[in-house]
Amino acid sequence: MLKATLRSFLAHKGRLLLSALAVVLSVAFVAGSLIFSDTVTRTFDRLFASTSADVTVTPKEDLDSQIPSGAIATVPTSLVARIDKVDGVALARPDVAVENITVVDSENESVGPTTGAPTIAGDWYVTERSPVELTSGHAPRGPDEALLDADTADKKHVGIGDTLTVIAQPGSFKVKIVGIATFRTTNPGAALVFLDPAVARTKLLGKADVATSIQVDAAKGVSDEQLKQRVAAAIGSGTYELETADEQAETAAAQLGGFLDVIKYVMLGFAGIAVLVGVFLIVNTFSMLIAQRTRELGLLRALGADRRQVRRSVLLEATLLGLVGSTLGLAAGIGLAIGLIELMGLLGMNLKTAEMVIGWPTPVAAYVVGVGVTFVAAYLPARRAAGVSPMAALADAEIAGVGRPLRVRAVVGLIVGALGAAALVGCVTATETGSAASLLGLGVVLTLIATVIAGPLLVRPVIRVLGGFFPAVFGSIGRMSQRNALRNPRRTGATAAALMVGLALVGGMSVASASMSKSFDDQIDKTLGADFVVQNANFLPFPQEITEKVQDTEGAGLVVRQRFTPVAVRLPDGKRVETTAAGYESQLDEVARITYAEGDTAAALADGNIAMDAGFAKDHDVRLGSTIPVEFPAGQKTELKVAALTDQDAAEGFGTQGGLFFGLGTIEKYVPGGQDSALYVNAASGTSADTLRANLDKTLDPYPQVQVRDLADYKKLIHDQIAVLLYLVYALLGLAIVIAVLGVVNTLALSVVERTREIGLLRAIGLARRQLRRMIRLESVVIAVFGAVLGLALGLVWGVCVQQVLALQGMKALAIPWTTLVAVVVGSAVVGIVAALLPALRASRMNVLAAIAHE
Amino acid sequence: MSTAAAEHALGRTDAEGIAARARGLTKAYGSGETTVLALDSVDVDIARGRFTAVMGPSGSGKSTLMHCLAGLDTVSAGQVWLGDTEITGLKDRELTQLRRDRIGFMFQSFNLIPTLNAAENITLPMDIAGKKADEKWLNQVIDQLGLRDRLKHRPAQLSGGQQQRVACARALASRPELIFADEPTGNLDSRAGLEVLGFLRDAVDELGQTVVMVTHDPGAAAHADLVLFLGDGRIVDEMARPTAEAVLERMKRFDTIRGTVEGDGATGQGIVPDQGIALDKD
Repeated sequence: MLKATLRSFLAHKGRLLLSALAVVLSVAFVAGSLIFSDTVTRTFDRLFASTSADVTVTPKEDLDSQIPSGAIATVPTSLVARIDKVDGVALARPDVAVENITVVDSENESVGPTTGAPTIAGDWYVTERSPVELTSGHAPRGPDEALLDADTADKKHVGIGDTLTVIAQPGSFKVKIVGIATFRTTNPGAALVFLDPAVARTKLLGKADVATSIQVDAAKGVSDEQLKQRVAAAIGSGTYELETADEQAETAAAQLGGFLDVIKYVMLGFAGIAVLVGVFLIVNTFSMLIAQRTRELGLLRALGADRRQVRRSVLLEATLLGLVGSTLGLAAGIGLAIGLIELMGLLGMNLKTAEMVIGWPTPVAAYVVGVGVTFVAAYLPARRAAGVSPMAALADAEIAGVGRPLRVRAVVGLIVGALGAAALVGCVTATETGSAASLLGLGVVLTLIATVIAGPLLVRPVIRVLGGFFPAVFGSIGRMSQRNALRNPRRTGATAAALMVGLALVGGMSVASASMSKSFDDQIDKTLGADFVVQNANFLPFPQEITEKVQDTEGAGLVVRQRFTPVAVRLPDGKRVETTAAGYESQLDEVARITYAEGDTAAALADGNIAMDAGFAKDHDVRLGSTIPVEFPAGQKTELKVAALTDQDAAEGFGTQGGLFFGLGTIEKYVPGGQDSALYVNAASGTSADTLRANLDKTLDPYPQVQVRDLADYKKLIHDQIAVLLYLVYALLGLAIVIAVLGVVNTLALSVVERTREIGLLRAIGLARRQLRRMIRLESVVIAVFGAVLGLALGLVWGVCVQQVLALQGMKALAIPWTTLVAVVVGSAVVGIVAALLPALRASRMNVLAAIAHE
Repeated sequence: MSTAAAEHALGRTDAEGIAARARGLTKAYGSGETTVLALDSVDVDIARGRFTAVMGPSGSGKSTLMHCLAGLDTVSAGQVWLGDTEITGLKDRELTQLRRDRIGFMFQSFNLIPTLNAAENITLPMDIAGKKADEKWLNQVIDQLGLRDRLKHRPAQLSGGQQQRVACARALASRPELIFADEPTGNLDSRAGLEVLGFLRDAVDELGQTVVMVTHDPGAAAHADLVLFLGDGRIVDEMARPTAEAVLERMKRFDTIRGTVEGDGATGQGIVPDQGIALDKD
């Protein structure tokens, strides 16, 4: 039996090739993501562990927020003297490292990374733990000299003697590059500028007596932990955060981890799609192989093999396929990891492929995924194989599975579909975001399963319609291709399902994102009253200098400043909510139209007052006039009176839960040293918007970190940010399509083999090769379009449900991107044509006589 | 020996109209030492408006002859004409077109496209060509074959005999110059077989068609106007107005020759090949 299995495996290796490819792809993504993240984690663990001081003292970070206030948290340098006195301290020194910095060259181009990695300015202080060393020039001396890291110098063509402008919070200043510092370890991708320590404190932080951290080294024989405790005892642990080298490395790695997690989850998403779509392909392949081998299996049974042996034989074949696929996939995964590491190198993160880490979980995961998926996918076909009767050996080979009723599928599909539909209806009618989102997830999964199960039942009605015009347009060739697609609904259904899954995701996401874009457009149209908005692309704060320059710009009338700050509010219902609040100058009404349920702008922005979203207030028992305690960063606390309730759509976008805002004065008072995040500018009377724009563009030329946007630009900025999400989905879709194409190729190739005699007959009675190819192409197209239509219909339903959930967040507009949907259907037809290329060629090359005589 | 044999070479006909013709038709498989001649320099004329049967033992080359005449197979040497068209040397595209427009086919089994109903199968060659069927002729053929109430049925819903009748109708539908039938009764019971042979006979007599049928059943061959006997890639004999008994007798002599390996001494209306017939062909 084993011998027969092995023979059969080798005999069908051509037909198993495409299934193996699906296994290879999913395993490659799993293995690649694991190897890559292991390698990066190991590299940075080493980097951080080797470059951190024994104990680092930083200001306590109590509130975290997506949108920073721009205030730089500092520690007084006077701490150094106090720490120095602690027993066991070898050395304590103030350190400066400021992240939100922009450095521009003489042409006002930023020299920072374009990848989103920060530009960091700090003090030049060499220890044996410095990650960089001076490789040319000399250390910076005095207020006008600086070092630049070698990678940035290289990439942006900056050399010794060049002048750069550092745009820091206290003000811009020019520096001359006097030396180049090179990374001794892996460059994490940031741009680094080093200044003389005293200069760094005054020019970057604005005061000579503060630093961003104090680095403490232990004397011999004192452990990091001991040192930490002693220092904590000396300066108090309530105000400062103390971390040992290990803890520091962990924190740094965790921060980097967020970025790594994104890559990891994206890769696992790819793996997931590959697995999901691959399963359909494998199920289909094995079903077809078994259908073709019905006689052979019947013979085995007639010769005395029992059901279990037949089933085991098929499963063994699947396991072999899984093993081969996993092994190749693991190899491909290593290749993928190398590719990713190289890609990171292009983005400025110089990892070394030689230091690649392949931990034991990687091969284990690879084989578990590869073999597991193949085994599971082959299980049903294997059971069907075991059910072949010994009589099948004698009967004329009837294609198994064609005539069997689909009643079970209909019942199961209907039940699961009904449950899914119920969940989706529940999600649409739900009033709370949390429960709506979980119902949405449940509904999506259930309706997807239901569509996959019931897919074959939909083949007949849908393809009758889709291919309805074929006979009229393509004559009997069209008729035959349409009927061939209908011939085995299970097979057509499973083949199309692979495409359906990917396109359902795309359909849903495109409806959701189009709705989001439209909601934001409506919102912007409704609320933004300013001629121009000055801010940067990622809503990060910018130095005061820019505000002043904008205010002084000729033709600028009213300028309203906006700042953000992280806050925590204690609400009457006992909940503590950490969120981001905005502060505005008092002429807010001139640049924005805010709808109030109660109160008005003047009340909202008055000293000691706060405004919030009416819905949020209701949820937390807040009433007009309630006094609520508010915590600001660095331990600042106050109580503010709720003086206005707003009634805005999308008040809670971008992590600003509750839509809290107050006067700019409140922020300036409790968050000193903050920076503006946006400026709303109106043209002065007598100045046209175009003139003002030209003037503003000129003013802001030396500040590449901010841009001037009018209403249309502002909308585009939002659209672009939503589009980023879509690109990811499109990439996933691309992979799903590649595998789905493999599935269609697979099905067609096997169908062509099955229909050899029929093709021979057609050729004998005069079907030209070209016509035969067209027939197969049309069948392929109708299968692909069937998958696309099913997927998009499902995606449309999902998208509408997603929009309903978003509506709870205030995004009330529904937009259906018809052009995208039509393009996807057209694209799927192209996919069908591409998939048919090889099978059609193969069919047309068949020898007519051999085909007629084919058994 | 008949003197006529000298003037009237075997397989050649004196009839005015010649539907298909082959000269020096040779088909070899393999090369060098292992070359097997399936057809060895065959000259043959297929008379127009007649029903010709090709008989011979297994491996005698009768199917190969049909395939070569029908443009399904390439020849190693010699020439083949369909009407006035030389088909040897034609490209695949031209051959396909020729089969589609000028030749009708019936095979032993698997004659019909399972996804098409009877009517669609019958008009398939014309549909492929994008031509309109001659409705009057089509109706005549359908009625002649008694398929009127079966037109909407798929092949799976038809009996074996009905399927062959549909195949016959398809072969006739485009009114081809020549119909090739390869063991058309091979898979049928005797009643259904007789029916199909009757239809082929009618096609010749009443519809004026030309039919070439390959068979190994003497009873089937007896329906033809002329039987050509093939042995080892050559036409070894022919028989006009055959009867089942006479054909059977003639076929038995193949066995005798095979049994005794005697090159000559045969008597009767036929002519015995002067070369020995190899034994090991099948």
